[in-house]
Amino acid sequence: MWDNLSLKEVVELTKDPFPSIRKWVKEKGKKVIGSTIPDVPEEVIHAFDFLPVSLIGTDKPLKKAPSRLPDNACSLARSNLELVMSYEGDLFDGFVLPQVCDTTQHLSDIWRIHFPDKYTECFLAPRQVDRPSARYWTKEEIERLISSLSNWTNRKITDDGLNSSIALFNENKKLLKEIYDFKKKNPAALTNKELFSLIKLSMQVDKEEFNKSLKRIKDGLKPQKGEGYTDIVLAGITCDPPEVYALFDEIKLNIVADTLVTGTRYIDGVVAQNGNPVDALVDRHMNRMFFSPIHDNVYRNFEEIKTLYKENNAKAVIYIHIEFCESQEYDLPDLKNMLRKEGIPFHVMDTEYQTLSLSHLRTRLQAFFESLKGGAL
Amino acid sequence: MSDTQKTEKPKKELTKSQMLSKKITEDYMNEAFRAHELGKLIGYTTAISPVEIFVAHDIIPIYPENHAVANLTAKKGAQLCSVTESLGYTSHLCAYARSDLGYRETGITVTRGIPEPDLFLACNAQCFTLTKWFQVLARRGNLPVFVFDTPEYIMDKKAREEIIKYCVIQLKELISFLEEVTKKKFDYDRLNEVMKYSAESSRLYKKFLDMAQYKPSPISIFDALIGMAIAVYRRGTPECVEYYRTLCEEFQEKADKGIGVLPKDKEKYRLYWENLPVWFKFSDHAKLLGSYGGVILTSLYVHAWSFEFDLDKDPLVTLAENYVSRFSNSTLEDRAEMAMDLFKRYSLNGMIMFMNRSCKAVSFAVPTLKDVLVKRTGIPALVFESDMGDQRFYSETQIRTRIEAYFETLDRLQAKVA
Ligand code: SF4
Ligand code: SF4
Repeated sequence: MWDNLSLKEVVELTKDPFPSIRKWVKEKGKKVIGSTIPDVPEEVIHAFDFLPVSLIGTDKPLKKAPSRLPDNACSLARSNLELVMSYEGDLFDGFVLPQVCDTTQHLSDIWRIHFPDKYTECFLAPRQVDRPSARYWTKEEIERLISSLSNWTNRKITDDGLNSSIALFNENKKLLKEIYDFKKKNPAALTNKELFSLIKLSMQVDKEEFNKSLKRIKDGLKPQKGEGYTDIVLAGITCDPPEVYALFDEIKLNIVADTLVTGTRYIDGVVAQNGNPVDALVDRHMNRMFFSPIHDNVYRNFEEIKTLYKENNAKAVIYIHIEFCESQEYDLPDLKNMLRKEGIPFHVMDTEYQTLSLSHLRTRLQAFFESLKGGAL
Repeated sequence: MSDTQKTEKPKKELTKSQMLSKKITEDYMNEAFRAHELGKLIGYTTAISPVEIFVAHDIIPIYPENHAVANLTAKKGAQLCSVTESLGYTSHLCAYARSDLGYRETGITVTRGIPEPDLFLACNAQCFTLTKWFQVLARRGNLPVFVFDTPEYIMDKKAREEIIKYCVIQLKELISFLEEVTKKKFDYDRLNEVMKYSAESSRLYKKFLDMAQYKPSPISIFDALIGMAIAVYRRGTPECVEYYRTLCEEFQEKADKGIGVLPKDKEKYRLYWENLPVWFKFSDHAKLLGSYGGVILTSLYVHAWSFEFDLDKDPLVTLAENYVSRFSNSTLEDRAEMAMDLFKRYSLNGMIMFMNRSCKAVSFAVPTLKDVLVKRTGIPALVFESDMGDQRFYSETQIRTRIEAYFETLDRLQAKVA
């Protein structure tokens, strides 16, 4: 089902992948585990023969979630809750929910209470990463997830089984990275929206099948430099709805690097394959890029963004702020100052799942790039 | 503020506990302002954090939250918060953090302010906001922050054992961190001594809160909010024990004499309050509720400091067990259990559920918690949304109308039962 998709079909599917997931599940007789982002080791879920699906909001209207999470909760959390409460809940046999901030901590409680008959487990990622205890705890949590899934399914996984899931997921990430690298140099070969749709869909469908599509798409890419593109770095957690990417395409911005959980932070999560798989998953967690809720060091975020900007010779940094994400909101003023001091043009886009006004974003974005060209920044 | 106070009617004579509280607070702040002179460091910490380790290592703990409460209670919230917003922070962050950042920008405060920090300890059992807020402050002075990460105390027994282990490892890391910063060896005997004081004052603090069992109750949540201050910033010291002993004696005497916040025949509704108070309105709320025969007796918030330290255990283990299991770090199911315990023990017959825009950590559980509690107790709930410290999010008429309507409902129900 997902093994022979064209770029166009991928973009179409990314809008709403759930009907195709339903069909696939029915055909294959598989079970589905949903996870909110970030950092759930999906390879473990796959090794138990489930389809791991990342939940990254819905554009369908909010109906039930507002009665559980008020309007000052981040829109990603509300959107995800709505997705399962009103639309796709029955598709999932269980959920593994990471906790990284106050919102996600509550979200997993609300979720569990709403679905008393489904398997719900939380993934308590450490909210510090610089001390030895963080590594210790990440390992404990991955092992706890394995034993929780094992108790629930009454099955065990072997190192070999986990390693082969890791290999499959690594292949997916490598293919995505190759396409990304190609796009950097050939901005007219595929759009930002297409590239990020490939990544997003990778987080939601069966990789064994989808890798085949990726390979075909990759092999079919023709060098096309195009003209008039401005290279940018995209920073943040997620970037939704996909129309935001279309906006970048419209004004000929070329994303050459990013720090998104639904972007490079995901693709970079290739896991070493030559040792104990759990240790390798822990290494991956410890080495991942900056993520506002679990890293206490905005300097690190600044350094990462600066390096991406310089290495890629980008012209500006666009930061995607998810409305009401307090983690980002505590970081942003300092990050902004650090980048400004460094002379790096920086533009913040306030986004919201469900209620985004694109025309407003477009006007501000255009104004930013016009002033950039005029040298006013 | 002191000018207006001068023109007010003569002050009531202070009780023994009030005098003690005043003295303890003054001594504490005097020492804090002279910390460097005394060769001590100032550690900013979160109200729920294993401060016993600071006390045992002669680090003077300072709680920016407490300072924020003083300013918010004195209605400085909107002014200070706006200053912070002009720096690029959004208006929906916690009003403690916003008013604190505003204070640092302007120096405006109704107290003498608080000393500048040397280091930070952020424990996320309370919330995640504090970690981020402290990081903002730390960046300004390039100061060290230690995050004591307390994963949610989920209900699985085995997971809990693991969580405690993780927390104990971190407490050891905290001790090494302090040794490194202060170049001084940590004294475990001193910690044992501090734990004795902390255990005893926590036991007495709980006893004080439990005065709400009496009918009429000699204590309202407003007494508890004032009474909790010393538990927050002075636990681990002998003066803290003395304070709570005195406080318990005073309230026990009231209980023995049948003196209630409201007289026995007027105490109709014994209420549960969910969340932190609306600081700049709390005495107004007390009066308004009192006029309907309602008195708020308790909340899980004030109980957050009634620790039950087990002195027979390794101090790091009992510290970890207590801090990780606070209501704010417990599952919604456990939190409902904790509230139900208060409903039963204090014979509560009403509940006010405050959705506090400032405090996501406490408030996002409220809609679900309300449903669970209403279902389990059969008591209707009043839910209202506002902010604990930023007056711009407070609508007087709306809240008054809601409170009035709620009491009408309770009256109707009571009449039906009668
Ligand atoms: S980190 Fe931000 S975007 Fe993610 S769940 Fe928490 S508040 Fe929402
Ligand atoms: S009020 Fe809530 S968000 Fe603010 S510091 Fe306290 S616990 Fe944290």
